[in-house]
Amino acid sequence: MTTTAPPPNDLVATLPAVPRLRPRRPRWLDVVGILGVIGLAFTVWLGLWVTPPDKFQGNLARLLYIHPAVATVALYWVGIVAAGGSLLYLWPRTRSLFWDRLAASAVEVGAVFAALTLVTGSLWGRPVWGVWWTWDARLTSTALLLLLEIGYLALRRVPADTAVRARRCAVAALLIAVDIPIVHFSVDWWNTLHQGGTFIDPGFQIHASASMSWTFLLGFVAFSLVFVWLLGVRYQVEVLQDAVGDEELEVSLAERWSEDTELIGAGTSARPPSGPTESGGAS
Amino acid sequence: MSYVDAGYAIALSTVFVYAISLLVRRRRWDRALTVKESTPDEGAAAAERP
Repeated sequence: MTTTAPPPNDLVATLPAVPRLRPRRPRWLDVVGILGVIGLAFTVWLGLWVTPPDKFQGNLARLLYIHPAVATVALYWVGIVAAGGSLLYLWPRTRSLFWDRLAASAVEVGAVFAALTLVTGSLWGRPVWGVWWTWDARLTSTALLLLLEIGYLALRRVPADTAVRARRCAVAALLIAVDIPIVHFSVDWWNTLHQGGTFIDPGFQIHASASMSWTFLLGFVAFSLVFVWLLGVRYQVEVLQDAVGDEELEVSLAERWSEDTELIGAGTSARPPSGPTESGGAS
Repeated sequence: MSYVDAGYAIALSTVFVYAISLLVRRRRWDRALTVKESTPDEGAAAAERP
């Protein structure tokens, strides 16, 4: 076992300060957030008061101005950021904690949107299908997505070295990414209660009035902008958490070095010495 | 309350509450880092204990 001699007290006192990483707060992110809120307000106004009731579903179709938009964020935008960030972290040439933090931020925001997808879908399904929930392939795979994201967040809270945690979480995010095409193609692979694409057919012909189409599109844009803002702020939280955590680790390491110094100095080093090379798992 | 109203209320309020919670968390961690930066080096202080 390799051990490093603990540094003397004066060396500990003169350790160079670790540069504190304080995240930037770009102005464009605030602009995106404001545009997202304005977009949401217009979506609600158009969706609830301006657009006409649907020919078959009546007012229940108004839920479809938010449910597919929320599901798009939960599935595609989160999937792209989480899987892409994790792959870029695992790839040695592009390995950076930026990608790990970005993926982690996307998964947390994704868990919120996945839960909203299930709730808004259930509120639409109860009056239309007659059930709050059914073990349909689309619904089940979406619920699995939410569980995988909760598992990822739990894994991230397991104490570990930053690099170890990032590697574990990157692998977990790739497992989440595997579920996303299953959710997407579930309505094609299995005979499901959940319908396939009804608003836009494979020939990209839109089957809705102009006001309904624009409201539908605006919902997508608004929730996407809100997602970008939430992702940016969540990323800033992640950077700050790591900055405070790293400093606590630095302090605890210095304390351990000083304790070892005292023991060696007193000639009572009963316990095995510990140094920087052994404390990689401390957190 | 209709299913439609409930859906809009839940979706918007959840996003709003989550956004506020993120702002609170960002402020709390930012203040924690500021406090850490302003206090004397605890590691050095621990090393100088008799």
